[in-house]
Amino acid sequence: MKTILATVFAACLAPVLVAQQQLPLFNDAPNRSLTRTNAVQYLFPEQVSVPAGKPSAVELHFRVAQGLHINSHTPRDSYLIPTALSIPTASGVRLENATYPPGEDFTLPLDPKTRLSVYTGEFVIQARIVAQRGNHLVEAQLRYQACDNNECMPPKSVTVPIDVIGK
Amino acid sequence: MKRNTVVLSVVLLLLAAFAWAGWANWEYRKQAAELRAAAVARGELVATSSDAPQFLSPLMNKPAPDFTLQDLSGKKVSLSSYKGKAVLINFWATWCAPCKIETPWIIDLRNQYAAQGFEVLGISADDLDLNDKQKLAEEKQQIAATVQQMHIPYPVLLNGDSLSQSYGGLDELPTSFFLDRNGTVVATQIGLTSKDELEGNIRKALGAGK
Repeated sequence: MKTILATVFAACLAPVLVAQQQLPLFNDAPNRSLTRTNAVQYLFPEQVSVPAGKPSAVELHFRVAQGLHINSHTPRDSYLIPTALSIPTASGVRLENATYPPGEDFTLPLDPKTRLSVYTGEFVIQARIVAQRGNHLVEAQLRYQACDNNECMPPKSVTVPIDVIGK
Repeated sequence: MKRNTVVLSVVLLLLAAFAWAGWANWEYRKQAAELRAAAVARGELVATSSDAPQFLSPLMNKPAPDFTLQDLSGKKVSLSSYKGKAVLINFWATWCAPCKIETPWIIDLRNQYAAQGFEVLGISADDLDLNDKQKLAEEKQQIAATVQQMHIPYPVLLNGDSLSQSYGGLDELPTSFFLDRNGTVVATQIGLTSKDELEGNIRKALGAGK
């Protein structure tokens, strides 16, 4: 009796599992557009406290979507658009300078001779900022241009919202 | 009696499981079809039965939207003036590395098939500061330098972004539309594919088959 019940239970479970195997397509298909629209995501920090009027280093963490790359701050060819951070003037916070990570070598499968300098995965920009006294909601911008192995998306800027407290 | 109840319960459970699986499968197919339809409406890559994703454009089998754009010398060029020729409209940009791999293939194929009535219109999707004369001149110079460096023999038109809406977004480059002699879109390509695929689509536009 137990064997029969186990067999019947397995028979019941099989179609359920088969049906569930198909479900990921619901989620995967639309993600491609989303990934392409938001090739770079700002991770953290959301808030920093720095001494007012003094240059302070802040590490800004970003992530490039899987399967994509963006040019580093120093691409090898002048026609390529570099990744660059900026802070709007009159935001109460000034970007004194930014230190970018070195790019990693990358070659397109169909052009193995040309080496590109790119960021993939997570990367960190060290921004040196000077904040006025007070609380400033800064909307910094990271400009980048993303590609995968076969195609490129137009240059884009991602907003980097940081609550900067100058004490 | 007790045994009959157990058997009946199991059968009902089995039927319920199959019913649920059938419903889930139907929902899956329905949503997949909706996703596919949505992707087609926006002109996107969609998965097909073959390995390579295919770019399905809403313009497929429809007349290509006419346009008039300036070339690098300032001359106005209209798509309609190419009626009677098979045309490849190739959207590219100076910052697009895959475009630089594809362009020499297009040049070769253009030279190979020009005598059969084939022409290429390269359309730069580089941003142009139309309100800033100095910047605009610099941007045009950069495009012209690339055209010269790559020895592009066909017309290169500017301000491709202005066609973004009529040509389905142009969110990814390179993007190509293949028009037959009547100006109907007979094939589309997004991203770097292969010279063979380009040639196949050019032959399709010329009415020569694959």
